[in-house]
Amino acid sequence: MEKKTTPYLPSELITEILLRLPVKYLIRFKTVCKSWFTLISNPNFANSNFQLAATQTRRVLSISAIPRQIRSIDFQALLNNHSASPNPNLSIPIPHFYLQIRGSCRGFIFLNCAIYNLIWNPSTGFCKKLPLSDVNYNFANTRYLYGFGYDQSKDDYLLVSLSYNDSRVGDHSSHLQIFSIRDNTWKQIEDPPSRYKSDYNFSKVGLFFNGAIHWFLYRRYSSVNVIVAFDLMERKLLEMLLPDAFIPYLADLDLWVFGEFLSLCAIRNGIVEIWVMREYKVHSSWTKTLVFPIGAVPYFSPIYSTKNGDIIGTIGGTGLVKYNGQGRLLGHCSYCEDPRGSQVIMYTESLLSLPDDNKQV
Amino acid sequence: MASSSSNLISLKTSDGTVFKVERALAKTMKTVQAIIEEADANIYMIPIHNVFSHHMDMIIDYYKLSVAGKSKEFSVEKLDNDELKDFLLAVHYLNMEDLFEVLTQAVADRLEKKSVGYVRKYFGIENDFTPEEYAAIRKKNDWAFKGDDIEPEEDEEKQEE
Repeated sequence: MEKKTTPYLPSELITEILLRLPVKYLIRFKTVCKSWFTLISNPNFANSNFQLAATQTRRVLSISAIPRQIRSIDFQALLNNHSASPNPNLSIPIPHFYLQIRGSCRGFIFLNCAIYNLIWNPSTGFCKKLPLSDVNYNFANTRYLYGFGYDQSKDDYLLVSLSYNDSRVGDHSSHLQIFSIRDNTWKQIEDPPSRYKSDYNFSKVGLFFNGAIHWFLYRRYSSVNVIVAFDLMERKLLEMLLPDAFIPYLADLDLWVFGEFLSLCAIRNGIVEIWVMREYKVHSSWTKTLVFPIGAVPYFSPIYSTKNGDIIGTIGGTGLVKYNGQGRLLGHCSYCEDPRGSQVIMYTESLLSLPDDNKQV
Repeated sequence: MASSSSNLISLKTSDGTVFKVERALAKTMKTVQAIIEEADANIYMIPIHNVFSHHMDMIIDYYKLSVAGKSKEFSVEKLDNDELKDFLLAVHYLNMEDLFEVLTQAVADRLEKKSVGYVRKYFGIENDFTPEEYAAIRKKNDWAFKGDDIEPEEDEEKQEE
């Protein structure tokens, strides 16, 4: 059957095909023609593309300090030795202050550069400056924890800042502030009843999961380790206790998402213990899922689990490791030459734009 | 065996072949289903335009695999790009949800990692950007054009016309 002309596909078919492409290629194919540029730039298209879970690609953002280098790493390809996949250096149009990563959500990264906050979508290049919270930064002993998440009920993104006074005397209340993208302002949330503090080895960046931001904290005076979750829809704080059978003493603790579940990863004396909360908020559903030796791997932090249950983690922001569901090491690689390591966070590629927003830096 | 057995539906393709298919398979074709529901109970034969017998062969293959719970084994690898597009058009016409999903994803998979020039040729699209406009967009998102073992854009641009 000889065909002289190639079959012509109507535009609704082309849209259906494009919706199933990963973000990187959608950005590339914006240059195919003007109508594709318009289609791919359309926020509705971005939303539909994001909802198609099959196309969601995750990357690791790595920021090293001096010299400042921002890299986006295709960690799955790197671990599978697909060296053809590039890990490009990205740039943000802001001055060379120290950049601090404070969260990631739906393709956006929450960054701080000393004099202002930023929301940045590394895939589209969109970047927006946001004000700092007006909590008084002059107290030398004030400590901060951060979070970034999405309130589905309002189609709004929230920056969250939890602060407390670390000195031995004085007011030990914890203070919670949120910044809503839609309201474009910082708001104080009623002080939580408990007094919390963090520890040097707890992550300062909260985990966004199930519509809430989660941190590890101590309840002061009782020295009990808890997971504190700030629900972005209810705008309320709640506590979740660690598993009864778990002993936090001297362990490095991490929160992450294992499959579909909130998971606790504890490392002590070279042994990794992974617990999973099979039913969110249900204390009795904590289940010890995996225990395996990690040896001398420093600063292991799990970030992602694959469909087969493999566990991928960063090591001190200089490299990545992959273990299978039984704890056997499958591979490792390094992506950062700076021995001081880098700040890392995992993000999902998206074409999404912020609600009601056209302003950029 | 009566020819108007209510378990089989007769479909006639563009190239004149008649396929007798199970009602359950015809149900997956929303276009056909609409015709059946609108017409009298004794519809004899349903013509399906834009669908050729080789398309029906593949549709029946897919149906048999999905009934056996093996729809993941269905592959369109052996089809060249034009044949795949043609098949997609047929399935689109018949309005078959699952198979449409499979085929649009198959086309998307073939476009992944390709150059802009390749994609234009694939869809028969003309470039309506000026070189300056193209360069400006490209510069802003240069990372999206790298890797994938191709150094595409410059060469493709020179080769076109």
